[in-house]
Amino acid sequence: MNFYQSGWTKVLTTYHRFAGSWAWIFHRISGLALTAYIFMHIIALSNLQKHKIDGGKAFNEEMALFSSPFFLVIEWLLFAFVLYHTLNGIRIVLVDFANGARYHKQLHYAVVTIGVIAFIAMGYVIFSHQVNKTVAMLF
Amino acid sequence: MSYKHLGSRNSGAPGWLFQRITGIVLIVAMVGHYILMHYTPTSGHSFASTFERMQNPLWKVFYLSFVVVGIYHGLNGVWGVVRDFKMKRWLSMTILGAMIILGIAFAVFGFMNVLVF
Repeated sequence: MNFYQSGWTKVLTTYHRFAGSWAWIFHRISGLALTAYIFMHIIALSNLQKHKIDGGKAFNEEMALFSSPFFLVIEWLLFAFVLYHTLNGIRIVLVDFANGARYHKQLHYAVVTIGVIAFIAMGYVIFSHQVNKTVAMLF
Repeated sequence: MSYKHLGSRNSGAPGWLFQRITGIVLIVAMVGHYILMHYTPTSGHSFASTFERMQNPLWKVFYLSFVVVGIYHGLNGVWGVVRDFKMKRWLSMTILGAMIILGIAFAVFGFMNVLVF
């Protein structure tokens, strides 16, 4: 296949001084990943379809697996993709429909700041249950 | 791309607008989804609570539309990526066809997850 822009690797590596090009690239990568994820998610939840036979046993076992520390970390990373795509999506909507084009830099700082805070906050939300469970088990 | 082959009447503007509308809808739905799944993990990670939720037709409608809007937003985004490459028409149309079939198949599969209750 041909690219409109010849030498796109050069484009990728030399446009980095503009935050907008990184925002664009990350938005695409996270978008493609999340699209793959939604298909995976639908397949994963198909254990619900067995509930009339097994009373939700398969689903509960799967959810127990997804509640293991390894999957919690994976889910936290998934949240990073969701979070970035959400915040940058809001930025895009503001640029397209509001006066966002005049505030590109401020919007980028806002995306990064809110993103880091929300990522840490979600880390606390995801792992606090696990930590509380472990603490309750120990004492 | 390919959109020059679709004729000048199709500028891609409706897809652009729908992408923003579905995106905003997904933000609202996703915040609720995350609260349900991670802030109160038992509400999302046990069959009993899922079963209970699914007895409410409003939750069913929510999940059915979540599936449709999510898949549409995702595949419309992928199509936006595909359109940025100068592909042969047969190739981009094959990809578009595969995406539509994939999207419908997974939407039906997602519907089955909800409508089994």
